[in-house]
Amino acid sequence: MKWSPRVQTPLVWGGHLLAATAFAWPLFAPAVPTEAQGAVPFVALALAPLAAVTLVFVLDGSVRSAKVLALLGTLTAVGAAVRVVGTGVGGIEAVFVLLILAGRAYGARFGFLLGVFVILLSSTLQGGFGPWTPFQMFACGWVGAGAGLLPRLRGPRAKLAEIAMLAGYGVLASYAFGLVMNFWYWPFAVGTGAGISYEPGATLGENLGSFLLYSLITSTASWDTLRAITTVIGLAVAGPAVLAALRRAKLPRDALR
Amino acid sequence: MIPPAPSTPTSHAVFRFRAAPLRHAAILAIGFIVVRVLYRILFHGVDGSGTVLVDLPVVRLPAPFAHVTMLGPITSGGLWNSVESALPIAAVIFAFGAINACIDLSKLFARGARGGPLRGAARTLVIAWATVPALGDAVRQVALARKLRGSRGAAALLVPLLERTVERAVAIAAAMEVRGFGAQRSVDAGRATPIEFRHVVLAYGACADAADADPGAPVEGWTLAVEEFVVPAGSLVLVSGPTGSGKSTMLHALSGLHTHFDDGELHGFARVGGVDRRTVPPRETAGFIGVVLQNPRIGFASETVADEIGFAPTARGVVASIVAARVAEAAARVGVTALLDRDIRALSAGEATLVAIAAALVERPRILLVDEPLADLDREARLRIRTLLDSLAHEHGVCVVVAEHRVGELAAVADARFDLGDGRVVRVAPGAGAAPAGEEDASSHDRGPAATGASTGEARSGGEARLEARGIHVVLGGRVAVDEASLDLCAGEIVALAGPNGAGKSTLLLALALPKAAGAVRVNGIDVARLRRRARRAAVALVPEASDDLLCATSTEEECRRADREAGAPGGTTRARFLAFLGAGDGTSTAARLLASHPRDLSTGERRCLAIAIQLAADASVLLIDEPTRGLDARARSLVAAALRTAAGEGRAVAIATHDHAFASELAERTIEMRDGRLGAGALRTAVRS
Repeated sequence: MKWSPRVQTPLVWGGHLLAATAFAWPLFAPAVPTEAQGAVPFVALALAPLAAVTLVFVLDGSVRSAKVLALLGTLTAVGAAVRVVGTGVGGIEAVFVLLILAGRAYGARFGFLLGVFVILLSSTLQGGFGPWTPFQMFACGWVGAGAGLLPRLRGPRAKLAEIAMLAGYGVLASYAFGLVMNFWYWPFAVGTGAGISYEPGATLGENLGSFLLYSLITSTASWDTLRAITTVIGLAVAGPAVLAALRRAKLPRDALR
Repeated sequence: MIPPAPSTPTSHAVFRFRAAPLRHAAILAIGFIVVRVLYRILFHGVDGSGTVLVDLPVVRLPAPFAHVTMLGPITSGGLWNSVESALPIAAVIFAFGAINACIDLSKLFARGARGGPLRGAARTLVIAWATVPALGDAVRQVALARKLRGSRGAAALLVPLLERTVERAVAIAAAMEVRGFGAQRSVDAGRATPIEFRHVVLAYGACADAADADPGAPVEGWTLAVEEFVVPAGSLVLVSGPTGSGKSTMLHALSGLHTHFDDGELHGFARVGGVDRRTVPPRETAGFIGVVLQNPRIGFASETVADEIGFAPTARGVVASIVAARVAEAAARVGVTALLDRDIRALSAGEATLVAIAAALVERPRILLVDEPLADLDREARLRIRTLLDSLAHEHGVCVVVAEHRVGELAAVADARFDLGDGRVVRVAPGAGAAPAGEEDASSHDRGPAATGASTGEARSGGEARLEARGIHVVLGGRVAVDEASLDLCAGEIVALAGPNGAGKSTLLLALALPKAAGAVRVNGIDVARLRRRARRAAVALVPEASDDLLCATSTEEECRRADREAGAPGGTTRARFLAFLGAGDGTSTAARLLASHPRDLSTGERRCLAIAIQLAADASVLLIDEPTRGLDARARSLVAAALRTAAGEGRAVAIATHDHAFASELAERTIEMRDGRLGAGALRTAVRS
């Protein structure tokens, strides 16, 4: 199905918004009547896959160009293999290098779909599907999409500046990835009534304080930092040459924008 | 050489049971509960009813975390509460595992790719699924090349791997495009002449987007003039010419890939089946033009042979039962019915070409375009393909165009031949300038040692021994790949290792360059196995068969600098050697073009010379090259031959492993036959002297 942009654009943004709502569900929970509180977490868990299916459904028409599709497919294979091989050593780290470079070379939409497909394929390979899978898809997709939205650089040292910019983005994305993944999972991981639990009645400041503490001990100080470091090193070492390799396969100008 | 994978029929069942995902999910669910309990112990969350098990003090954190309390008493009721409240989520995790255990998602991808609203995403995942196993091989080969080069960085691994990935992606995309993937409509052929090109000029223009363009890409400014190229139905036409002369471009111009996929330009009168080739993309003419691309194996986009052959009608939305009938018909026509259930990756090179031809014939095209169908095939397979193409043209009335530099093989069945050279297409007699079938085929590996016996001879007694290998014995996967091989290589000589596929030539070269196996390798009297990386590179250098895997920089200049740095050679060594190989004086415009190019934009011959120069950066005494002429035409071969003579002339011992008997006998002073892991006569210097 080929969607007209007037229909597709609002649907795409709607999908992203739906996903963002699922990620931020602890913020919305207090607004729900007390009797329905118990259902909120499960609604959030259902929203994420719904958003993922909606987006893939709407974007599917964009991957009808053979070149886009083949590049997306082979790069998905590389990303999934990297992720499967890296499972023992912290998982998702090296994938970020690929997502950021591919997003940069081929644009936000390509980067988003690559993130989604890498998670889908690696989960299929490992049999590792779970309630977290759609959330991982979005978080990874957004990392790739963000790289595609960075500004274009000009000037005498544009190539160096580009890598520096991508490395800076890589650090930001690494921590942001950890934070959003922790945010939706936090109430599940801790449950209610503990010191860092989510409290529907507490102030936003207190809840955020609890969350940050949870996030710090869960991943920010460990995995996220490791991921930031490996991403920067990866981009610095292989970034220019990989970007050149990707850009040598020119996509049709209107293929995926 | 790696034996082909066993041919297991692929199952199509979506539902199956595997215990592993269930186990995996159970571990995750238990882990989830354990982690939850730990968090709650740490943050004062197990203080409930029941007996107090451990009475830890409550710790209050300073601002801004003043509301957070840590530790506190652990009670039995609190612990039970923590576990109980975690159970619903743990159950969800386990349920996902159960679904995983019963459903084979990869089969759903294949189904989704056949049609429906998610076929784009599903096709992407089918391609990804089929690419993963190939990645393992790619990583092994690239890692080996990196080791041979002496590089350590991640770039030397990642960049060649990504280059291979992109190359595969483009091949798959082209193969899908010519089979109608993504077409919004289908154009029918008129009754007009199948192919009619008049006053056509093919070109690669300046790129519209200058910022992204690679400076110095050699395709810029390239043109091919086609004065008249008219092919009637029921004839077989040959397009010949050296590599790089534009045979593939010519075929791509006919298929439409040139203008609609490769960003090329086409001016003039160009019609296929009465359709204007400039405006109609390949996917819309897939109904009457069948295309077999060069090296079809890397462009396969399905999991099984049947799915691959049925790709075109499936992409068009034909119902499954009719697709199956068409697939059976095309397979029978080509003679690959027995292969239909095979995994696509388990095909030999010859089988892959036949499957690609069947996939091109499945829509019963009026025009069939075939690019280099005979490459890397043995005599039997070549004969079979010749017979098939002959019958398609002369019995079934198809208009067949074949691009092939082995003119002799096909001249007898061709009605006309167009030769490419100097940017022009000229019509010549089919057999003109070609040796009769079989004779001209230099890279045929089915000629026995008798044919080359004359060149099997003495080691040159003049030069001193550079390399002495004794009793090299390599066992790969339980099979003896190299059997007690002993070999001398002398300064200034070029030695050829000949023999069929799987004889152990590549394995032997590898054992000489990176000695690990039983036996001893000495270079200038020093045991190579004991040398460290740099010293080893100064002793012996090996250029692997996939020599492009050695390249990882974004310009040739940078590539040369990198090689100097890795080898600890003075700056400019590799650059000077590379330019000397190509006869390009430093400072000339040719040299400037070569150095500014992306290494992968160099021609195949130039790239091979660059790989040799890189491997010689540490000035090795012994140079080993695996299949130096793979994929090269006559001109590029003479370029590489000159480079090897230069290398030997500087006092090195040079050894090549090759199928190419003509190349070997022209260049090498002695040829050693290798069969079943054993070296033939003439390998030892002492044997000659006695």
